[in-house]
Amino acid sequence: MKTMSVKSRTLKEANAELREKANGSPVHIHNVSHLHGLAAGLKHGEIIVEGNAGDYLGALNDGATIRVTQDTGNYPADNMTAGTVIIQGNAGFGAAEYCYGGTVVIVGDAGDFTATMNKGATIIVQGNVGDEAGTYMLKGSLIIVGNAGSNLANYLIRGAVYIGGEYRSLGHNTRLAALEDEDIALLKNCFETYGIAANPASFRKIVAASERPFYH
Amino acid sequence: MPIVGAFCVSVNREICVNAGMPGKCATCAEVCPHGVYELNLQTGEMNVVNFNACVGCRICAEFCPVNAIRINPAEPEYFTRYPWTFSAVEEVHYRAQTGEYLLRGFGTTGQTPNFDMITIVPSQISSPAPRDKYREECDMSVVIGENTCEKPVVLKQPFVWPAMSFGALSKEAKLALAISAAMTGIATDTGEGGLVPDEAWLARGYADAEMSVKKWDPGGYLLIQWSTGRWGVSADYLNSGDAVEVKIGQGAKPGMGGHLLGAKVTEEVSRVRGVPVGSDALSPCRYYDVQTLDDIKHMVAFLRDVTHYQMPIFFKLGPSRPYADVAACIEAGADAISLDGMVGGTGCSPDVVTQGVGIPTVACIPPAVQALKDYGVYRKVKLIALGGIRNGLDAFKAMALGADAVGFGSAAEVALGCRVCYACHKGNCPYGITSQKPEMRARLDPIEGGQRLANFIHACGEEVKILTMLSGHRSIQELSPEDLRAMDLNTAALTGLKLAGYDRPLPMWEEGFGLSKGKGNGHNN
Repeated sequence: MKTMSVKSRTLKEANAELREKANGSPVHIHNVSHLHGLAAGLKHGEIIVEGNAGDYLGALNDGATIRVTQDTGNYPADNMTAGTVIIQGNAGFGAAEYCYGGTVVIVGDAGDFTATMNKGATIIVQGNVGDEAGTYMLKGSLIIVGNAGSNLANYLIRGAVYIGGEYRSLGHNTRLAALEDEDIALLKNCFETYGIAANPASFRKIVAASERPFYH
Repeated sequence: MPIVGAFCVSVNREICVNAGMPGKCATCAEVCPHGVYELNLQTGEMNVVNFNACVGCRICAEFCPVNAIRINPAEPEYFTRYPWTFSAVEEVHYRAQTGEYLLRGFGTTGQTPNFDMITIVPSQISSPAPRDKYREECDMSVVIGENTCEKPVVLKQPFVWPAMSFGALSKEAKLALAISAAMTGIATDTGEGGLVPDEAWLARGYADAEMSVKKWDPGGYLLIQWSTGRWGVSADYLNSGDAVEVKIGQGAKPGMGGHLLGAKVTEEVSRVRGVPVGSDALSPCRYYDVQTLDDIKHMVAFLRDVTHYQMPIFFKLGPSRPYADVAACIEAGADAISLDGMVGGTGCSPDVVTQGVGIPTVACIPPAVQALKDYGVYRKVKLIALGGIRNGLDAFKAMALGADAVGFGSAAEVALGCRVCYACHKGNCPYGITSQKPEMRARLDPIEGGQRLANFIHACGEEVKILTMLSGHRSIQELSPEDLRAMDLNTAALTGLKLAGYDRPLPMWEEGFGLSKGKGNGHNN
């Protein structure tokens, strides 16, 4: 097991060491909450953040697996293209925005604008999400096991939002759709993979009312 | 923009092919972007059915095989009917009939303050003597990021092609821009529509993707835009260029994101952007992952990290509060700031925004320069002026006002053949510049277009050299507002330049009233 502490170190120093060490066995990293952009742009490796992380954790992640044992700040997994980010605690505002691929799992709650402009990632929130989750999604899935705030999936274009709890309101260009076999299979697979105790059949599916909405 | 002005459309029916042989020619109807002409399918006759929609671009006249069309502006109506001109009346009708607001391409039209009422002060006996353009050297280079990153951008001439996206422009137009950048040693910019793969190696002057065969010297640079829509963005995308540009806004529609209408979202564009074919791609007006200036600082920090501290970071601003916005960019860690004035162009924008929102380019530069000076980074953090700059004369004036370099956006399209029809958003550009249709794109050869653009840059570079040297300077870095005079009160008031004849700035710009932190310059104190 590799460990590193980045107390009082700069982002440049921390990420340079991470890139060097992120081969083979997992790297356990401590004292990182002051760093914003930790593990950005990694293409491989397994990183375990012990404790809380700052903003933009794993931004532009391109293949690494990043686990956080507690909470993150805002915008974790920002613009991720591949890999996995697992947050054992809560995530702040704008979790998993602009993602093109990979998987993000937030065990706790996530703030407003979670999964905004998702373009292909699978994003799972086991707790609740704030307002505007899934805004302007173009592809991929947002799975919310708990509840959501207002304007859920606002201006959804493609992809789907699945919700197990309640929501305050749906956004523009959305409609509820019946769960199909492939939806159940997707949910079941996610729940089994990440040890989530939930019944896929109880979820509601939200899709775009139109793939080609015109604004004017 | 269905209606923008009143032009008289005259067709000489004695030579018009269609008039002689109905049905034999419909070229004017095919190329007109605004439906001025209509072919009667029963009789084969061509008629001018909507002369009020003519915007005076004269594309029909250019394409007419027998030169039968004349377009004459009907300016007098602006004296006799203003403000209720034909265009104003017809625009009201359009809104009433459709319930839609007007969209159009290109930039602000009409009487917007610009560089024209500024004159250049040549050197004579009381100032350093003029330099000889034909026998002496003039340093035209601009270095960006020399103390902040490992691979600074070194522009051979003080010009850039500003951000214009793939989608808004055709692939051929993007490649022409890249080739011309390589030919002239300047920078081109991906814009927000992702990377056209060939762009990366063509911009550096190579003929192949492996970058083994150098075809164009001296080779240019590719700026990679990081924008609010993040179309096609990944770590690899960022590392495929020479600098990252963080787009905050743009001149033609500050406060709004990019507009790409469904008509231009083809399979190829859809693959890059992830938007369904035929669906509008309207970028967010702001970054969803930025709420505070600290967020921007953190974003810049990880962008530098992901690009291995090798590339400069540019910011692109729309024309809002130049002093405060430039100050924020400096605090966020910018190496260069592209400040796009309201005259800047676009592929598509609501007409009310392009026409009525923002600060004229000429008035943006002085407060931006003051912010750079107040932060002690003038000439270190580079200022690039954009928005309505048409030639070397405008470029010189912008640089003497304090910009380090300028960008030619609209002028680049015109250099490629555009005749300014304001219909870029419709996707029917007959020159293949802003169209995604194969038959239109086939009309634009990237190498020929690249040569035209390179010629344009060469000519503008020579113009800047002439003006720099007749002003007594050896380098564009020596230019200052002292090289300029305002020729009217309005321009003197907007810019702080000395008024010609009076030879002093207007009193409101004198010591104690002029630009400094918090004094009438957009700073929030």
